[in-house]
Amino acid sequence: MGEVILTMKGIDKSFPGVHALNHVDLEIQKGEVHALMGENGAGKSTLMKVLTGIYSKDEGTIYFEGKEVSFSNPKEAQTAGIVIVHQELNMMGHLTVAQNIFAGREFRKGSFIDDQKMIEESNKIFKRMNINIDPTETMSNLTVGKQQMCEIAKAISHDCKVIIFDEPSAALTESEIQELFKIIRDLKKQGMGIVYISHRMDEIKVITDRVTVMRDGTYVGTIITEESTKDDIINMMVGRVIYEDPKTKSNVPKDAPVVLKVEHLNAGKMVKDVSFELHKGEILGFSGLMGAGRTETARALFGADVKESGDIFINGKKVVINNPMDAVKNGIGYLSEDRKRFGIVTGKSVAENTTMATLEKYCKGPFINKKKEKKTAKEYVKRLATKTPNTEQLVVNLSGGNQQKVVIAKWLVRDCDVLIFDEPTRGIDVGAKSEIYHLMNELVEEGKSIIMISSEMTEILRMSDRIVVMCEGRKTAEINIEDASQESIMHAATLRD
Amino acid sequence: MDTLKNIPIVRKIGFNKIVLCLVLLIMYGMFSILSDSFVNYNRIISALNYAYFLGFLALGVTFVIGTGGIDFSIGPVMFCCAIVSGQILSKSSLPVWVCMIIAIFIGVVFGCFNGFMVAYCKVPPFIISMASMQIAKGAASVFTGAQIVKWPMAQDQTNGWFRNLVKYRLIGDTPRDVTIIPTGLICLIIVAIVCAVILNKTKTGRYILCLGSNKEAVRLSGVNVKKYEMLAYVICGILVGIASIFFVGAYTTVQPGMGDQYNNEAIAAAVMGGTSMAGGIASIGGTIIGVLIIALLQEGILAIGLTKDYQLVVTGLIVIIAVSIDIISRRKKN
Amino acid sequence: MNNNSIIKKIGMQKVITLGILLLLLIFFSLANPTFRKYTTFLSLMGYTYYIAFMAIGVTFPLLTGGVDLSVGTGLICYALAGGYLVVYKGWPVWLGLLIAVLFGVVIGLFNGFAVAVLDLPPFLATLCTCMITRGLGSICSNGTGVPWPNGSAEGAWFRNLFRLKVGGVSIPIGIIWVVLAVVIMSIVLNHTRTGRYVLSIGSNKEAAKLCGINVVRYQITAYVISGFFAGLAGIAFAASFATIQPGLGAGFELDAIGAAIIGGVSTAGGYGTVTGTILGVLIMSLLKTGLPYIDLQANWQQIIIGIVLIVAVMIDIIRSRRVSA
Repeated sequence: MGEVILTMKGIDKSFPGVHALNHVDLEIQKGEVHALMGENGAGKSTLMKVLTGIYSKDEGTIYFEGKEVSFSNPKEAQTAGIVIVHQELNMMGHLTVAQNIFAGREFRKGSFIDDQKMIEESNKIFKRMNINIDPTETMSNLTVGKQQMCEIAKAISHDCKVIIFDEPSAALTESEIQELFKIIRDLKKQGMGIVYISHRMDEIKVITDRVTVMRDGTYVGTIITEESTKDDIINMMVGRVIYEDPKTKSNVPKDAPVVLKVEHLNAGKMVKDVSFELHKGEILGFSGLMGAGRTETARALFGADVKESGDIFINGKKVVINNPMDAVKNGIGYLSEDRKRFGIVTGKSVAENTTMATLEKYCKGPFINKKKEKKTAKEYVKRLATKTPNTEQLVVNLSGGNQQKVVIAKWLVRDCDVLIFDEPTRGIDVGAKSEIYHLMNELVEEGKSIIMISSEMTEILRMSDRIVVMCEGRKTAEINIEDASQESIMHAATLRD
Repeated sequence: MDTLKNIPIVRKIGFNKIVLCLVLLIMYGMFSILSDSFVNYNRIISALNYAYFLGFLALGVTFVIGTGGIDFSIGPVMFCCAIVSGQILSKSSLPVWVCMIIAIFIGVVFGCFNGFMVAYCKVPPFIISMASMQIAKGAASVFTGAQIVKWPMAQDQTNGWFRNLVKYRLIGDTPRDVTIIPTGLICLIIVAIVCAVILNKTKTGRYILCLGSNKEAVRLSGVNVKKYEMLAYVICGILVGIASIFFVGAYTTVQPGMGDQYNNEAIAAAVMGGTSMAGGIASIGGTIIGVLIIALLQEGILAIGLTKDYQLVVTGLIVIIAVSIDIISRRKKN
Repeated sequence: MNNNSIIKKIGMQKVITLGILLLLLIFFSLANPTFRKYTTFLSLMGYTYYIAFMAIGVTFPLLTGGVDLSVGTGLICYALAGGYLVVYKGWPVWLGLLIAVLFGVVIGLFNGFAVAVLDLPPFLATLCTCMITRGLGSICSNGTGVPWPNGSAEGAWFRNLFRLKVGGVSIPIGIIWVVLAVVIMSIVLNHTRTGRYVLSIGSNKEAAKLCGINVVRYQITAYVISGFFAGLAGIAFAASFATIQPGLGAGFELDAIGAAIIGGVSTAGGYGTVTGTILGVLIMSLLKTGLPYIDLQANWQQIIIGIVLIVAVMIDIIRSRRVSA
């Protein structure tokens, strides 16, 4: 193994109310790909933000090439040779590729920017990476995969020694991932230290040398990839062997009526000819890789985005859903994957959010009956065991799990028959997770039907009665839970044309 | 400081509103010391005259800012309402109350137009209000041939009564012995209460503020966000129409092509009162206090012998300071 | 095919704007023969100068995703302040001109500080400075109008900067300054770091920050540029019109912002050109000078300009919707 290039020791960081990092250690060697793993909220991104100077650390030391360093902003880290390829793309869509790659450190001739040289240098980097992108193209015209490559090119263009990849494969297609791996192996050969953050176990096995696992802001351990199994890593991540028992058989009676039928739904590039049925009392799991078009399907079904064609039947009757209003009228509720943006109104109270979709029920003429509203809000706080001091609390002050419960309450008050849960447990701690699972089971027992979109295989296998698998906007499989396995789902999720 | 903020009654009213009230009182005290002529009933009446129309404008724009939008056209639109309906009044035999309704109607038309363009056509609010500001100015002067319009004086037998809305002239023993009762204040307070009820107690108000806070989340709750966003501009239009009546009730004449400065003052009053430019947070009480501060400032600065220009400068500075303090204190909290 | 690439290079919006400009010219010339006179051209230029400077300046805050509402009342304020010192205090004209520009820069700095450092919404901050400059202008001049030197008076030479009289003929040499400003600011926008960073901030402020760009500094720079050009616009205004009255200027900013938007500057920031802006300016000033020739007075102009603005923005919205789709 190569020499150590970067050491983080005893890094501690607190935010108001959260101990985000609790004395975490990390060591990167030259020429290794080092995976950093952990569940959502384990503190991986925070650790990397501390490293690159976006956050300042409360305690601990960072040694880089044998010297103690402390970066106060990303630029200092870049100059020293530590760069990060962000999870969300950080690009300026109106500028060209070359302009983006060299943003903040343009080549100059006198006081003028030397665009020609930037284009030449970009070409050199792309050649080195063995990919074909026109540096003069406007950034927003590229595909997501190509944009990601530009981010990497930008990282390489810094004369860097450590590159951090923060979930780089999330938005990439299979062939793009292979391209990415080729590039990473190249970089490795050149003696760079590479930190690779990902959730995808199979990628970790293929590309990385060592794995450091974090859990709830603490350092769990570092192991050598070759000498360990998937289960070892998972056990370290969750702290116990859960691999919760998958459902073995569907709880839905064979003759349960179809409450929702979708036929030949088309919407943009991400939803192509999707058809499926949802039975009364069923949890229909939607599985697939990131960017498979599951959320887009849900949004098109719900009328949140424009759809090009397709028929929707509720209880056998054809309905027109052109906007969320129509959907709600037809008894569909949608829990978005992005709670903050699409779920809660953060600046408003628990009570106000709870009655958001049903306000007319709480109105006498034009006036809101706040007493009645409060009573309902209290009722649902109690029923869902939402942790909040009172119903007047602003939801922004609640934890992720409790915010999710408020959003669920909103749809329960509405008494929707069909609920779409898009990544219902994302960013929620383990305790609240099982509460939400429990609640979902309760709901289907009451005769409601649920579409659950989830990227967590365990969640899909544990909750679903039937599973729809999507890949690149198409439905590639529909599997009964009795026949479902990780392998069969994964196979369908990577079934491309 | 924090303990003070946690006293129940302070929390109920809102700490910043109490601070604003104090500012208002201190200003009154200051002007009384600086100018002998300031403590005078007529001064108060004159300050109130300014507060009425500005108050209605500010109330209106509070709804729009609550949605996260902005309306720069309210001043010129107010003038347009007053000019067109005033011209109709003087050229026809229509009774004054019809013309008052026409004034409000014109306000509503502009409100509908702005609201429709913003909510349904997705035009940025500041652009559309720039455009309708031009249109309002142009339309008003086209209508009158760029002439000044005069509304009837209080002495007018048939139509003068409308001025009683603004100030009631209580005639004493001799015709010269006139006591003025600020009836406009009552009107303003009533309308403000109605606005507060709409904003805080009705579905419309709730959705206006919620969509200002997170439009997408409200839309995905199945709410007709376009309707409520447009409604905010329509409410603003109604209030602008009412403002025009109180403007001519206090100042009689209106000249086409003017009115820009009142946008700024109305927006300033709302923002000073704690309405957030980002939307989602709005306070009717705060807006009214903001209006009173600006009106008092205007009168006080005239009383100490300076021109209106100083009031503009001071108002501008106060708003910048008030909002900066708000932003900094919020930043500290996070 | 070849044609297509030229259009692509210049930009569709600019080609359309140019087309509209030519159509307007032809329309007015046909509608009224007196329009085809040299004096019309001179008065067209009189309007063009100050709107052009304002619009070139305000393009920069717009590109950062902000706005500067203070340029209109600002330019009058600067011209009043400078003019007052020249006319009533006997300062030399060059110093008065310098003061006007400096005043603009100071207000620009103030705006930039409020937006970038205090984090005020650009609307609100510049709305306040709009009020402040309106008041200050009138305070500086004691509330009276200021007649900058004219005719044979001492110091009237500065008017020659914009309209040179040779023999009996006036030559609108102000065009030279406008062209110069367009060329320089185009270069600044497209070939210097300042311009690049202004665009970067408008395109994605967070990303720009992560690239290590000093976002605060370049935001302030954008507002200073706007203030500086408002100062120049003040001078152009003083040179083109006889007397400057306090209280003027409200609404001028709409001509400038409107011109920039017609010229293709995105209201969300990140995209736009100085040449596009200047085409927008020409449309604005052409409407102002041309409409009276078809018997539409000032009041109609306002309505038409309002409608033109809405149409321009609708085009922008439809276009950006297509880009995102």
